[in-house]
Amino acid sequence: MLLSSVALADSGVGVDTWRATKLDPTAGAAVEGCDERGTWWLVPGQRRTPTGNLYPCPPASAPLHERGDWTYSGVLQLGYLGTGGDDDAALWNRYAFWDTGPVLGLLSVDAERAQDGSYAKLRATRVSDDDQYYQLAFGRAGSYRLQASLRDISNVLSANAKSIWNGVGSNTLTLSDGLTPGGSTPEQVAAVSSAAAERTLKVKRSKQVLGYSAYLTPDWSAYADFSNEQRKGARPYGGTFFFNFPFPGNGGVFETVKPIDDSTMNLNAGLRYAGAAWRLDFGYSGSFYRDANRRYTFQTPYALTPVVPNAVSAPLTTGQMSTEPDNDYHNLKAALTRKLPLNGEFSLTASVGRMRQDDTLIAPVDCRGVFGIGLGGSLQLGPHNPFLYDCAQWNTPAALSRKSADMQIDTTLLDARIALQPTADLSVRGGLRFNRDDYRNGYLMRNPLTGQYGYVSENGSQGSVVPGESGIWAPGADARNLTRIRSLPLDLQTIDANLGADWKLGERDTLGATFAFNRYEPTNRERRQVDSSSLKLNWINRSLDWLTLRASLTFLKQTGDRYDYDPYEFTWSSSLPGFIAPPGGVPAHTVEAMRKYDLSSRDQRKANVMATLTPREDMTLTASLRGDWNDYDARIGRQGYSTFGATLQWEWQPTPRTQTSVYYGYDRSRLREANVNELNASGVDPRLGGLTYPLAGRWWVTDTQRNHSAGANLRHDFGRVRLDVDWNNLYARGVTAYSYASSLALAWSDTVPNDAAGSGAFAPMRYRVDTLALALVIPIVERVSLRAFGVYERGRVDDWHYAGFGTGRVIDHRVYTDGGPQDYSAHLVGILLDVQL
Amino acid sequence: MNVPTRLCFLLVAALAAPRMSAAIEWIDLRGAAPIRGDAATGAAKATVCVACHGPNGNAVVPAFPRLAGQRADYLYWRLANFKRGARPESVMTAQTANLSDADLHDLAAYFAAQTATKSPLPAMPSARGESLFRDGDPARGTPPCQGCHGADARGPADSRFATWPALRGQNADYLAARLKAYRDGKDAVSSNEFVMRGVARSLDDEAIAALAAWLASHSP
Repeated sequence: MLLSSVALADSGVGVDTWRATKLDPTAGAAVEGCDERGTWWLVPGQRRTPTGNLYPCPPASAPLHERGDWTYSGVLQLGYLGTGGDDDAALWNRYAFWDTGPVLGLLSVDAERAQDGSYAKLRATRVSDDDQYYQLAFGRAGSYRLQASLRDISNVLSANAKSIWNGVGSNTLTLSDGLTPGGSTPEQVAAVSSAAAERTLKVKRSKQVLGYSAYLTPDWSAYADFSNEQRKGARPYGGTFFFNFPFPGNGGVFETVKPIDDSTMNLNAGLRYAGAAWRLDFGYSGSFYRDANRRYTFQTPYALTPVVPNAVSAPLTTGQMSTEPDNDYHNLKAALTRKLPLNGEFSLTASVGRMRQDDTLIAPVDCRGVFGIGLGGSLQLGPHNPFLYDCAQWNTPAALSRKSADMQIDTTLLDARIALQPTADLSVRGGLRFNRDDYRNGYLMRNPLTGQYGYVSENGSQGSVVPGESGIWAPGADARNLTRIRSLPLDLQTIDANLGADWKLGERDTLGATFAFNRYEPTNRERRQVDSSSLKLNWINRSLDWLTLRASLTFLKQTGDRYDYDPYEFTWSSSLPGFIAPPGGVPAHTVEAMRKYDLSSRDQRKANVMATLTPREDMTLTASLRGDWNDYDARIGRQGYSTFGATLQWEWQPTPRTQTSVYYGYDRSRLREANVNELNASGVDPRLGGLTYPLAGRWWVTDTQRNHSAGANLRHDFGRVRLDVDWNNLYARGVTAYSYASSLALAWSDTVPNDAAGSGAFAPMRYRVDTLALALVIPIVERVSLRAFGVYERGRVDDWHYAGFGTGRVIDHRVYTDGGPQDYSAHLVGILLDVQL
Repeated sequence: MNVPTRLCFLLVAALAAPRMSAAIEWIDLRGAAPIRGDAATGAAKATVCVACHGPNGNAVVPAFPRLAGQRADYLYWRLANFKRGARPESVMTAQTANLSDADLHDLAAYFAAQTATKSPLPAMPSARGESLFRDGDPARGTPPCQGCHGADARGPADSRFATWPALRGQNADYLAARLKAYRDGKDAVSSNEFVMRGVARSLDDEAIAALAAWLASHSP
């Protein structure tokens, strides 16, 4: 039905197979009725998949016509769509952008010439300028196939954005009239924000694909696929100009509007051989990302104020954000498969890849004059002003260590697998996989114009508020500055091995076991080696004709070598000769007890049970339970993560004219984390319970997410009219609960009356969407029918992040653009004339 | 007239319009019940048949099918479709008009029980026909015949497909006529014909002749 299911797009590689729009999510299957002849001519009653589920009713095919050697069939659906209610809401329009006006529900033409297997297929659908699809394919069976398609789809990110900037969608955001860069008050900014017209921020994807495949011989085939996708639009994004929360009336935290204007080209080509004993596959895949913008800039309305007396901040008014760098990716793959005795098969795959970024780098800051702090009220450069910097020495690419990124990651993959079936009741399998990512370059940020090191922090604003926090290190006054100076290469190597077997114990039971081992060896991480071993046991039982039971259990244990809580020293200025440690020592980067969750020692248990019941030939009842429990060996960090899910589904297809189903799904996840407040920013003691991270500063968070989904649908052909009714409901509720050892754990310790431990929870996050869709298909004359449909959708969203936005989006020096998700009630009605050509 | 009003008007007009529907006239032979007839009784009723189909059903006239040793289920449903007038008017239409359903069962059982003999017509082996039967023609989308009719062309061993005929040793002219009828959509009265229609549409006259000659060249 109209909105009951969402067709899946491809993964972005190769020629798209997604032929649907939101008006036609099942790519025509749902609107073409049900063919009473069933699924195929050879055997009747093929109603179930090998796993026991009912097949969906096959759509009725359009009548065939003949013209010369060709036979063809076609469907044309033309009509009109009208929307109402809150039809500009972002969630209603996401991936659709409904619009009132004429629509092309579907144009589908299939033609074939049986004499030589030639065929041609055309498919088109258009809901609006932002939601349309066109595809043309032709070829000859056993010879070649050529396919081309166009696809437009929009992602609506906000329907209630209010911008204090002009130039939304461009790479230059300038303050609206009424605001002065670096000289506006929060009241003035709030007035401009309030008066700004609400606007929609969306990103439109336009994709063109072309694919060709050919059988060169009965054994050899070749393929080449090309796609190009452009994204254009704008989306809410960040904009940093020094944090404002602990410094009222200072800094600037902005939600800016990022321009989106990029393209991604994908190319896949290869050669395949499929013989009686051997299969070979040689392929190349490439991906090329290009962004029209390297950065965008925004003006800040607020002035900066130094935190030290008798000083003055540089009058910075422009911030910048970089966009994603251009990227080239190449991969070569060769795979061979050989049949073995004992019904076996061995396959070996090798691939090498290269990701390369060599975009021109942007200057560290976009400023004129000076940035930093002028002591004594003076903004004159000189030895008397050690915390003041010359913009001319930093606002040019000449201030960079090199002019382009020149970064590269090489990948290597080897994969070997073997499977044997020595008897009909026993199969064994094994696999070995090796993977490496090698970083081929690094970046040391040294300004050749000044000889200084480091990345200027927050557009120069941080060093213009707090002396010594410019992000710059140099011998002399800045010699004690602790700052990042180089990139972090993350080379890694993984080895996976697995061995498993399945035994069929008679007609009713199948047992299986798989042992898997993974060794993960990252570079420049807290551990140099992490090993995980797992054992999975599975059981399938068909003791009863009407019941198929599947169950599996998995036990996994992850361990590793010594955990170094701070392996990043070499990326900081403290590693440079000439660095002067503060009198108390170099501040601790983090707490020693921290265990990052991907490297942490961990015990995992997973259980899955699924039962498929067939109480009648035309009915299926499916129930499943699944659980996943993870315990992490961490005093600080992630301590536990568990998920639990259950589904129940009932399907009934009593006749080809009647189908109905009901489903319910429940998911729950719980994430437990522990952390500790750093009570002395310059503290040097990394121990938990030490002076820097005292036990009284600990706090804990438990995030619990519960999702309920339910739905029901009924399709019935009354003869004179066919009815489709769908109802779907999604309800998600998330609660973040917290507890703390004392008020020392809080960002705002003065918000609680004493230093005792405490607990609480943030307001629940709720998301609920109900959709009711109704369609009537009324045959008028042979080959012509009318389809009238309506969709009503109601969304309710509670998100405390946006609390208070009803009265304004400017809070001191924090400026928000997006108004947040909206409750909505929207509907559409439409009518389509369905003509079988 | 605003948009909702226009939509409602169109909806009412559509509901008021007369409806046409097409009836399904084909017989579904998928999973058809096995045929049970009495061969001895059928022998007594077959005297008329052998005039065209030869002694014991071993026809020597190339245009008539050889019935001896053919599968009973296939024979019954051929006769049944003649009787119900589903096939084009022919001499068989009149021959079956006065036969009861039990007669059809008995006749099918009788001819299925007879021993097929090699046709006295000259054999014309065809390499092209053999290739089509065993491998099909992927370039034209033709599947191999042996997939359904068995590697020896004596029909599939699986009892679920008892209504699919044996082809080995059948008269070539008859085979060719049947394939052309499938191809041209003139014979589509059961689910089996829908299968064959799709297959035969990929065959040209030359391929049909080659296939028919190769099948006829074998002893049954």
